[in-house]
Amino acid sequence: MKHSICMVSDFFYPNIGGVESHIYQLSQCLIERGHKVIVVTHAYGNRSGIRYLSNGLKVYYLPIQPVYNQCILPTVFTTLPVIRNILLRESINIVHGHSAFSALALESIFHARTMNVKAVFTDHSLFGFADLSSILTNKILKFSLAGVNHAICVSHTCKENTVLRGKIDPSDVSVIPNAVDASIFTPTSTERDPEKITIVVMSRLVYRKGADLLASVIPEICSRHSDVQFIIGGDGPKRLAIEEVREHFQLHDRIRLLGTVGHSAVRQVLVRGDIFLNTSLTEAFCIAIVEAASCGLQVVSTSVGGIPEVLPPDMIQLAEPSATSLVESLDKAIAKRRNCQLLSPDGAHDWVRKTYTWQNVAERTEIVYDKISAATEVTLADRLHRYNKCGLVAGKIFIFIAALNYLLLILCNWISPVQNIDLAIDCRKLRRLKTGGVNLEQSS
Amino acid sequence: MAMSCDRSRKKWQKVLYKDQGVSDNYVDESFLEEMKKNLHIRTYEFWAVVRESNVVMQQIYSVWIFVAVYFHMRNFVLTPQFLFEMSSAVTIVGYIVNFVILHENALTKSRWKDGKTMGIFLILGFSLSPILMTLTKTISTDTIYAMTFFMLLANLLFHDYGTDAAIVSQAFSLNAAIFASICLASRLPTTWHAFSLVTFAFELFALWPILRRNLKIHFPRLQIILSFLLGSVVTVSVATVSSVAVVVFLLLHLFITILCPAWLIRLQPYKNNIHGPWDEAVIKQ
Repeated sequence: MKHSICMVSDFFYPNIGGVESHIYQLSQCLIERGHKVIVVTHAYGNRSGIRYLSNGLKVYYLPIQPVYNQCILPTVFTTLPVIRNILLRESINIVHGHSAFSALALESIFHARTMNVKAVFTDHSLFGFADLSSILTNKILKFSLAGVNHAICVSHTCKENTVLRGKIDPSDVSVIPNAVDASIFTPTSTERDPEKITIVVMSRLVYRKGADLLASVIPEICSRHSDVQFIIGGDGPKRLAIEEVREHFQLHDRIRLLGTVGHSAVRQVLVRGDIFLNTSLTEAFCIAIVEAASCGLQVVSTSVGGIPEVLPPDMIQLAEPSATSLVESLDKAIAKRRNCQLLSPDGAHDWVRKTYTWQNVAERTEIVYDKISAATEVTLADRLHRYNKCGLVAGKIFIFIAALNYLLLILCNWISPVQNIDLAIDCRKLRRLKTGGVNLEQSS
Repeated sequence: MAMSCDRSRKKWQKVLYKDQGVSDNYVDESFLEEMKKNLHIRTYEFWAVVRESNVVMQQIYSVWIFVAVYFHMRNFVLTPQFLFEMSSAVTIVGYIVNFVILHENALTKSRWKDGKTMGIFLILGFSLSPILMTLTKTISTDTIYAMTFFMLLANLLFHDYGTDAAIVSQAFSLNAAIFASICLASRLPTTWHAFSLVTFAFELFALWPILRRNLKIHFPRLQIILSFLLGSVVTVSVATVSSVAVVVFLLLHLFITILCPAWLIRLQPYKNNIHGPWDEAVIKQ
């Protein structure tokens, strides 16, 4: 069964990042499988309106500017008319929102459910429970997930975290991991320095990514092994700490700081390394280690969040988030490298190429779509009951918001009736004409 | 198929790279196994908490004493000369006690520096007192009393009671108290009154907490006796101003010393701290 899917998020091209490339790659693979996919996001500077990306991927850059942290201002009701219009024009039957940080995604899911369109939400990050910002965000997440038909998480740890935060039934959450485009991340043995052992670090130099751990690990490793050098890509507030370490221990020829590395240049930096070091303090999935593994590097990482689930033990050395443990694991990896006991770069690349593919992600996402399409429709009363369960006081507020949104929808239907909205041309029909009438199933 | 039977007998592993033959929304028995609840819980003992609550009460005593002194001066029961002499004498005694407790040298440079600071403050205070008097002349007394109330409340809220909380701001707390004293001082008849009240406020809100902290560190058992003494002073001085105020004070005392600890202990079973592999790692040394 072919669906018309609307991907919604505040994070999309021209921004480069994990969520952005996830949405793009997933959309492309779903289009390959014959579905119709559109993307809805906010305006980026002058880029506003409708644009087409490869394979007829239509992107709606809504004329709303981001306010804080790449996200639009959350107003709940003002996005209703435009989202309703888009969903009706494109005959969307599934709305897929990405990232709990995205106000646009959460609002679109809410409006979709008000219009009885099925909704899916993908969570890409881990959250705490104890501080004030987490408590508020979790409440909002409970509200969103109370209405959603199904949720997708990128790792099992992420699923446990989402289930606890959003108080939803675990069988309503599917675990579908991220993937990499392995054709971009290929190993090249000629780039490596055969005399030395090169350790590559590629992350933002902030506290959350363990920059402090990195600063304490580097001098220790450099003193133990004279043939080890570090290449560090990325910038941030903790860059000063690394530079201080370099100054203090006189390691200028053994540590190279590259600053911010553009996305297209990441592979070039990765292939120069033998070992990839990741010191994050929290990660839901960590796509960086998969990219590094695809380039043939051995990975050494802190065992936090979803990282232990991502790579098999022969491709990754896990360590506790402490300097001593990381140094131990690095020692083991360096020893293995010296004794040529590591998996060959081509072997590692092939493994990643077969295991983490976007086609696999699209296939599993399609199963979710089929399941929710077949599910029975939920009445307004049921939805309001579910919102009520979100909390003693919050439940009543959420019911009020949901009911008000429903009334606003009726108003929109009266002002701009469904019959008067032109349906947009389906790109798949155009493709069929171009490819000479290949028989694809039509969507209803 | 025989293959899938084989797989289902193998234990489900929490990994993403193997196809374990189950659907994506499969919930294993080991789901949420690594979640731990209430790891770092503290058990509270009622009387220990009551004893510790006197830290808050002592600052409240300071506030009440200050307000009582203001009303006494207003009613001409207390003369500014008497207040100034008494508070100066007590301050000097307190100062001596402080450096005896800290085992400091009696004749070091810091004595000279402290003396200089005191001199500068007294001179500045005395010369600025006439301005203080007329500063809030046009504002109505009710507004002044309301502002004083909120400023003293802010003093209590932001005071450093010895914890490491984000809300603590010693500077803000002291500033609020001094602002309150300026508000009240402007309602007094002469410059002398204003000067003595502001000086008293400084001694009470800036210098007394320092001595209190040092006493607490070196003589923890004195705290209860100190609280009793101060409490009685407050009760007596407030009683002579207004009997309603005494009742309010005693009820407030009861609430903070008895009811709040009881409430805290009653709420402990509802604690629900969730820990698990999703937490941001704490770097171990």
